[in-house]
Amino acid sequence: MEPVAPFKEVIAEVKGAGGEVFKLCYQCGKCDVVCPWNRVRSFSIRKIIREAAFGLTEIESEDIWRCTTCGTCPDECPRGVKQIEFGVSLRRIASEYGVFPTSVKPARTAAGSLRAGGNPLNEERGTRTDWAKGLSVKPFAEGMEVLYFVGCYFSYDPRLRKAAVATANILQKAGVEFGILGTKESCCGESIRKTGAEDVFKALARENIKTFIDHGVKKILVASPHCYHTFANEYPEFMAKFEVVHITQYLLELLNEGRLELSGAYEKKVTYHDPCYLGRHNNIYDEPREVLKRVPGLDLIEMSDCRDQSLCCGGGGGRIWMETPKEERFSNLRLEQAKDVQAEVLATSCPYCISNFEESRLTLEYEDDLEIKAITEIIQDAL
Amino acid sequence: MTDSRANSNIGDVLVVGGGISGIQAALDLATTGYKVYLVEKAPTIGGKMAQLDKTFPTNDCSMCIESPKFIECDRHPNIEILTYTEVDRVEGEAGDFRVTLVKKPRYIIEDRCTGCTTCVEYCPVMLPDPFNQELSGNKATHIYFSQAVPLIPYVADECLYLKDKKCFICAGVCKNNAIDLHQEPEREEIKVGAIVLSPGYEVFDPKQRNDYGYGLMQNVVTSLDFERLLCATGPHEGEILRPSDHQHPHKIAWIHCVGSRSVIEGSNSYCSSVCCTYIQKQVILTKDHDAETDCTIFHNDVRSYGKDFERFYTRAQDLPGVRFRRSYVSIGQEDPETKNVTIRYSTPDDGVQEEEFDLVVLGVGLGPPKDARSIADTFGIELNAHGFCKTDPKSPIETTRPGIFMSGAFQGPIDIPESVVAASGANALAGELLKSRRSRLSKERVYPAERDVSEEEVKVGVFACHCGANIGRVVDIPSLVEYSLTLGNVVHAEEGLFICSTDAAEQIANTIREKGLNRVVVAACTPRTHEPLFRDTLREGGINQYFFDMANIREHCSWVHSKQKEEATEKAKDIVRMSVARTTHLEPLQEFDLPVNKTALVVGGGLAGMTSALGLANQGFEVHLVEKNADLGGLARRIHHTLDGLDVQAYLDDLIGQVYRHPLVQVSHAATIKEVTGYVGNFKTTVETEGQVKTIEHGAAILATGVAEYTPTEYLYGEDDRVITQLELEERIAGGDEGLEGVESLVMIQCVGCRQEDRDYCSRVCCGEALKNALKLKEHSPGMDIYILYRDMRSYGFKEDCYREAADRDVHFVLWEPDSPPEAAAAKNENDKPVVRITTADPILGQTLELDADLLVLSAAAIPSTGSQDAARLFKIALNPDGFFQEAHVKLRPVDFAAEGIFLCGAVHYPKYISEAITQAYGAAGRAATLLSQDTVRASGSVCEVCEDDCVSCGACISVCTYDAIEFRETPKGKKAWVNPVLCKGDGVCNAKCPTSAILLKHYTDQELNCQIDAAFPDLVKAGK
Repeated sequence: MEPVAPFKEVIAEVKGAGGEVFKLCYQCGKCDVVCPWNRVRSFSIRKIIREAAFGLTEIESEDIWRCTTCGTCPDECPRGVKQIEFGVSLRRIASEYGVFPTSVKPARTAAGSLRAGGNPLNEERGTRTDWAKGLSVKPFAEGMEVLYFVGCYFSYDPRLRKAAVATANILQKAGVEFGILGTKESCCGESIRKTGAEDVFKALARENIKTFIDHGVKKILVASPHCYHTFANEYPEFMAKFEVVHITQYLLELLNEGRLELSGAYEKKVTYHDPCYLGRHNNIYDEPREVLKRVPGLDLIEMSDCRDQSLCCGGGGGRIWMETPKEERFSNLRLEQAKDVQAEVLATSCPYCISNFEESRLTLEYEDDLEIKAITEIIQDAL
Repeated sequence: MTDSRANSNIGDVLVVGGGISGIQAALDLATTGYKVYLVEKAPTIGGKMAQLDKTFPTNDCSMCIESPKFIECDRHPNIEILTYTEVDRVEGEAGDFRVTLVKKPRYIIEDRCTGCTTCVEYCPVMLPDPFNQELSGNKATHIYFSQAVPLIPYVADECLYLKDKKCFICAGVCKNNAIDLHQEPEREEIKVGAIVLSPGYEVFDPKQRNDYGYGLMQNVVTSLDFERLLCATGPHEGEILRPSDHQHPHKIAWIHCVGSRSVIEGSNSYCSSVCCTYIQKQVILTKDHDAETDCTIFHNDVRSYGKDFERFYTRAQDLPGVRFRRSYVSIGQEDPETKNVTIRYSTPDDGVQEEEFDLVVLGVGLGPPKDARSIADTFGIELNAHGFCKTDPKSPIETTRPGIFMSGAFQGPIDIPESVVAASGANALAGELLKSRRSRLSKERVYPAERDVSEEEVKVGVFACHCGANIGRVVDIPSLVEYSLTLGNVVHAEEGLFICSTDAAEQIANTIREKGLNRVVVAACTPRTHEPLFRDTLREGGINQYFFDMANIREHCSWVHSKQKEEATEKAKDIVRMSVARTTHLEPLQEFDLPVNKTALVVGGGLAGMTSALGLANQGFEVHLVEKNADLGGLARRIHHTLDGLDVQAYLDDLIGQVYRHPLVQVSHAATIKEVTGYVGNFKTTVETEGQVKTIEHGAAILATGVAEYTPTEYLYGEDDRVITQLELEERIAGGDEGLEGVESLVMIQCVGCRQEDRDYCSRVCCGEALKNALKLKEHSPGMDIYILYRDMRSYGFKEDCYREAADRDVHFVLWEPDSPPEAAAAKNENDKPVVRITTADPILGQTLELDADLLVLSAAAIPSTGSQDAARLFKIALNPDGFFQEAHVKLRPVDFAAEGIFLCGAVHYPKYISEAITQAYGAAGRAATLLSQDTVRASGSVCEVCEDDCVSCGACISVCTYDAIEFRETPKGKKAWVNPVLCKGDGVCNAKCPTSAILLKHYTDQELNCQIDAAFPDLVKAGK
């Protein structure tokens, strides 16, 4: 094999794009060991890091797009290499050069759609509130308790709209004074940022922040952990800080305050899947479980990979838009784990997880064995 | 002399912590003439070393080498042991500390307890045994372990009476009324001049974060748990049984760096220094237990940086069925049925692999003692960023408060010999402070008068030891005892669980008196470790100590014949019969006192030699410092700074100034040693210095002849002036920018000239040296490209932080394997600039890298200096296979030589960092002080003697004696050979050479040995063959 010399220009470029942390890597292999990809196919983030260290990155390779930003390897990395930031830096460079493998093209489409209509799904801005028809959900006005930030998937995706409806119903039942931004709501931008489209993220974030400020928003209720993450941890980069609460946290608050009472029953074996961005990224593990435990008749069981070891659904980091061959979907493994513990319901609280799980449910032909539910849907049933 | 009874709370030194380091500090201080309080918070002294099975790299039994020191402490007239005691308050200042101690209630009245353990037998409460890492049970009232000192029980908090006032069975069954369940903590104030802190370390607890399933999966254990599983006194008497089903595991995985080398919250960023080698030890021992066991070690860098560690590593690697895999891992699933554990690991070529193991051992790291913060507050000392004791690299044994010293792992993760060295060093430093009060409070040991047995008939007592399960599991001890009683002259025989425990030894002394024994055979382990202890016991029993023989039924029997129990028992009987036969002919021998010249000779005027010279001079001893060069300073002259921030040249200048100014230090420059004669306490060394020849009389010698840098023949060194060594680079860095002008790219290659067949050791300092120089270069020229090509980065201890810092500053690290080392050639780069081109394979990339360097720096091996070989020849001391000095015992006598009165320090022992050399220099000074503070030393009675009538004056004995102990003397019968008993080491070589058997070795006479041999074959002897 021909010897290769370090390519200093590329090293500088990766550093410039925010990926400098690769230099800390001592190649222990821990990241590869914990990476969910290696449960379905061979993938070495360690090698990608090593290549960057010598400027040997293959920018056109599909591998730089693989990371789902599940957060397992940075949590376990003994050297403090921030693999997610590093991976995003490579995608920024690829975006700059406009180099995208075929499987990644849908993410480009999503970016275009975000620019045009504030959502990644090529949907009209005008139909963003269609889910709420007939629910008498009010537009947000200053002084209301919370802004319910619905999120793109809950607004447009037919399956996820059910969960949005459930949320609205619960809030109304509990007497919460809330409103939505309607067509003024734009995508939070979390996932597109992970694909390297920093400009799209910035535009979305600025737009949302402006809308929040214009409406006098103080407290934001979100149903997507991705919205939660970016509002809580990334919007402060724009010097904008709002109180953010995830629906599972809010439900527990309502239950504890006695505003919400569960009089019905839900006699099922339920297992809870920790979404990466709720658990590992934001340390919210207990509230969703506590809410489920309050449901009369519900039997909560744990899967083998739970809490901080939770197995990613495969949807983060922009992967929700990219093609993943059937046999390489982590969500299939997750459903098998749910079945292994004889769960009847796989509950979670993230739109990507629900989408991926529903798809795996069909692929695996688990329709008769396992239901996929948002926590809000379970609560709605137990009202 | 002050009457110590009137001042029962006045001492000289308080030693806090009764682990191996505290024990050594106490013994050295006490022997030097200081009264020591040895305070330990556990119910016994011993510390963590007592829990270990064997010790690397010699695989000596840990307890067997440590427990004789317990008894030595116990019997030392100048040591007062206070166990189950903590320090509450420290007031005063150096030279005059008032310390408040709190003795925790043991609920046992120590003076009344005989250690009979009846209370233990009757106690109804079982609890997890802390000594066995909670892998087995023990009673709420129990003795901490069988060799405990003091050998009395304590009552744990789980006691039913202490909890609910429910049960007091123990108080009822104790015949001596020694149990007092109403005891309260007792406070006591003592006064001391100095304090030595040796509180030890805490192992990392993976339970906190359930790391690797520990605490959740039964078959995941820590390395300390595994030590107990390996140990004959462990939960399964030395059978390795896994926790879930008590079956033998056939496939075991070890995981390196658990809790270490990680910046994750809750882990330690530093390297714990000892884990790599203790894991190799555990692998070797596991294979000893069952050669079929499949052993896999998951590691990052393997850090075999200590003396003989590299060979130990190779030995583990070469065992069949042992795999070393370079990967950190994660724990997957536990099989619900088999309870086997799945491990995921990464490979460069085949991606992530998954494999199932029967048992997983976590190589847990070392942290500061749990109560480090409160120790710091109580003693008014500072801690470092990692929570260990803060020390100065110039004086690593001193804490931040004058008069309070530190030894052992409280300074950071270190292994046993380093802990022992620092303990001896604390003796030197405390000695500097307290020299005026030396011997004021000390007492002599008083033995009963020796009984004259010459008219008595021979009465042999045989004491057979189970050694826990070490012997008893294989050899049928009761039948051995029964057999012994059938032997002629044997009037007493008994068995014991550990004959070396304090009570058993005391029991022997009593039996000698009560039964009138005049010969003693102990059938147990090896005289190498235990003969001094039992000889001392004979003196306590009032008979001559040479009436003793040890029958080794462990090393020679139970260990080598562990699978053939019956035959082993027969062999044990043979060995005992032979021993008994020999003892019947043993004669009482007298040891004699030799005066001690209180002057020391230090050979080598480098950093270590000067430090130990000052260490002795500051204690009031006269010192001659001999240096072969015209100037003092040695190799340190070429070192300019250290990773821990020491300005070496400034320090060296200061040290040299102190040496020259000290009235008790005399320096000989450009000196060559011509001849060394004499013996411990009375050496005569002839030195030629600056044209003069002088003879120095001295009682002790410290050899500190240092190391040299290997001159490479590899990588164009000597052919291309762009190829230099690390020391040369350091000189260029120190010399300013000129030497480095125009250097844009620099490559370092590690392990040049070592870790290879002809030099099979790691030079220990080169990884740190490379990091140090790389960081310094980055400081001046952040843009310089630096590549370090390494085999294992061995930045052990806190140096791991520097490794990460270097990476953070863009230093590139590239691993190379010995089967494809880097290659260097002169070349031109793309801009036509001449460069040294280095090609090296990168295993993770799977590609060969081509690095163009303006400067290629070789981390050349540290090799023994030529002066060391001369010193070895002149002082008749041994070198190890690598040419470094061979100490008396790698673990417990690390700065002593087997030859008495000679000590060593510095890199001549093994390459080491400056602060390590300083510690060791103080250690040697501390050890030498234990000798120089004495007025006399004892010489062995087992020496050779010439029967002048039989001597034919051939001189064969003279020519063969290594020690020049034999000479001709004029006698009335003419010229005859004469043995100088103080020079004779009793090796007996002359006996074999003498054509007329005129020379004999006392204690090993022909008669004694023939009898022993005859007893081996009684049938043949009877048949007259």
